[in-house]
Amino acid sequence: MLEINNLNVSVDDNKILNNLSLSIKTGEVHAIMGPNGSGKSTIAHTLAGNPNYQVESGSISFNGKDLLDMEPTERSLDGLFLAFQYPIEIPGVTNASYLRQIMNSHRKHQGKDPIEAGAFLKLLKEKSTYLKIPFEMHSRFVNTGFSGGEKKKNEVLQMDLLDPKLIIMDETDSGLDVDALKVTADAVNQMKSQNRSLIIVTHYLRLLEYIKPDFVHIFQNGQIIESGDSSLATRIDKEGYE
Amino acid sequence: MNKDQCSITFNGTTSIIENSSTFISISGVEEFIETKILNIEVDESKTTQRVNLILDNCTDEPINFEINLKINENAKLEFLDESIYSNDSNIKLNTTLHKNSYFELYKLNIYKNKNINLFYHNCSLLENSSFKDYSFSNGSKENLNKTIINLNDINSKYLGSGVSINNSTNSNNEVQIRHNTKSASSDCYFKTVAKGSSKVNFDGIIFVDNHCSKTVSNQVSKGLLIGSESKINLVPKLEIYNDDVECSHGAASGQPDKNTLFYLTSRGISKEDAEQIYVEGFLSEFFATIDNDLMTEKAKKFINLNT
Repeated sequence: MLEINNLNVSVDDNKILNNLSLSIKTGEVHAIMGPNGSGKSTIAHTLAGNPNYQVESGSISFNGKDLLDMEPTERSLDGLFLAFQYPIEIPGVTNASYLRQIMNSHRKHQGKDPIEAGAFLKLLKEKSTYLKIPFEMHSRFVNTGFSGGEKKKNEVLQMDLLDPKLIIMDETDSGLDVDALKVTADAVNQMKSQNRSLIIVTHYLRLLEYIKPDFVHIFQNGQIIESGDSSLATRIDKEGYE
Repeated sequence: MNKDQCSITFNGTTSIIENSSTFISISGVEEFIETKILNIEVDESKTTQRVNLILDNCTDEPINFEINLKINENAKLEFLDESIYSNDSNIKLNTTLHKNSYFELYKLNIYKNKNINLFYHNCSLLENSSFKDYSFSNGSKENLNKTIINLNDINSKYLGSGVSINNSTNSNNEVQIRHNTKSASSDCYFKTVAKGSSKVNFDGIIFVDNHCSKTVSNQVSKGLLIGSESKINLVPKLEIYNDDVECSHGAASGQPDKNTLFYLTSRGISKEDAEQIYVEGFLSEFFATIDNDLMTEKAKKFINLNT
């Protein structure tokens, strides 16, 4: 599904990723761990097409397409989803209206009619109940005044509504209490399938205890310095990165 | 039409008055063609009286007129102007709010970008009267909006919210709030979006005279620049001659936040739609200050159609 080859990425002329290569097959769950500043969020945002991250060289292929030739909109419509570490607040736009708009963008791309208001509300109620999101949150402005947990759950809700092929979770576990972490992890586990791949960027073992990865990669200085199975995350949790 | 409503339709140089409210009296109709002046007086009633102003532009004549509006003691008025200005215009509104009166003005106006449109409002507020002033407009070739508020008696209140959406137009906006008495309050919000090669100016003047203690006055102006050639100039001017006051002002302008646009596009929304959502969000913050559901809907529709 995803092939990253010799990728070099800079932010404000500071080189962050150094000749990074990574291959992810359909249905696999990969965890990326590493100390602060090792390039974990950089790979997440580069995959989503954040213009603040400049690709100097290398290639990324996503389901046979050159990802670097695609705009963020196109990447999303083709099935790539980034759950933000710091979801953006959008004052003046209600969450319900925003969620319906993103759903309809995808439906339009798939040649479907916009979702009707009644059907959307029913779906939103169903998903919100499952994620233990208070329904009144949807009448508030997007992520504005949301708690840390509500913001992260809202990311998972969007992920669920858009039904992506590749999910990238950038430190989704940060800011979540134990109960919220479990609810979020359960929702992500429900979404795991043979047709969908996951990249979980995290500092800690705790999320990986709920969502078991097939592979764990340790980042340092913008490179993968070690890869292994889920036992690698347990070892890092005990011994640290040094 | 509701029995409490009054409708004034201007067609070029003529006016059509439909008035079924016994609490609203209008004079100067017969002489209007010559004088271009109408006098409207609103009396106390249990319900809020409504005046609808409609410009029916089926001629090429510029529209120039003046309305003198007197809102008597304990009277309540809602004034709605949803006119589409197809031609040049020069409109003056002179308003007096008497003791304990209440006035809501909603202007949702659409201008053409070839025209010159002037709107001038001079409003005086007496004891314990309250005025809520909501203005939504797109720009025209030359667009001048000037509002002068005189808070002349204690406990008079003014809340003004202005939204100006401009597409390659020149828009000049001035709000003068003159605190001529103690214990009066004012809040003024102005938001503008400048597209294309628009130039938008906002002068927000707060004047507090030396005997006007216990004044409360706040002013916020914000501008959003869309397009590399657009310019916004927000100028807060405070003249305060009394120390026992609470006054604040803030002004900020800039381009849409790139991180927000990326967030939206990363969800599959096109760049153009992301910008549209951003602009609507920027302008929609005012809705919380409108406690009239119908007008909130009208304002939302206006922003949606004009951004």
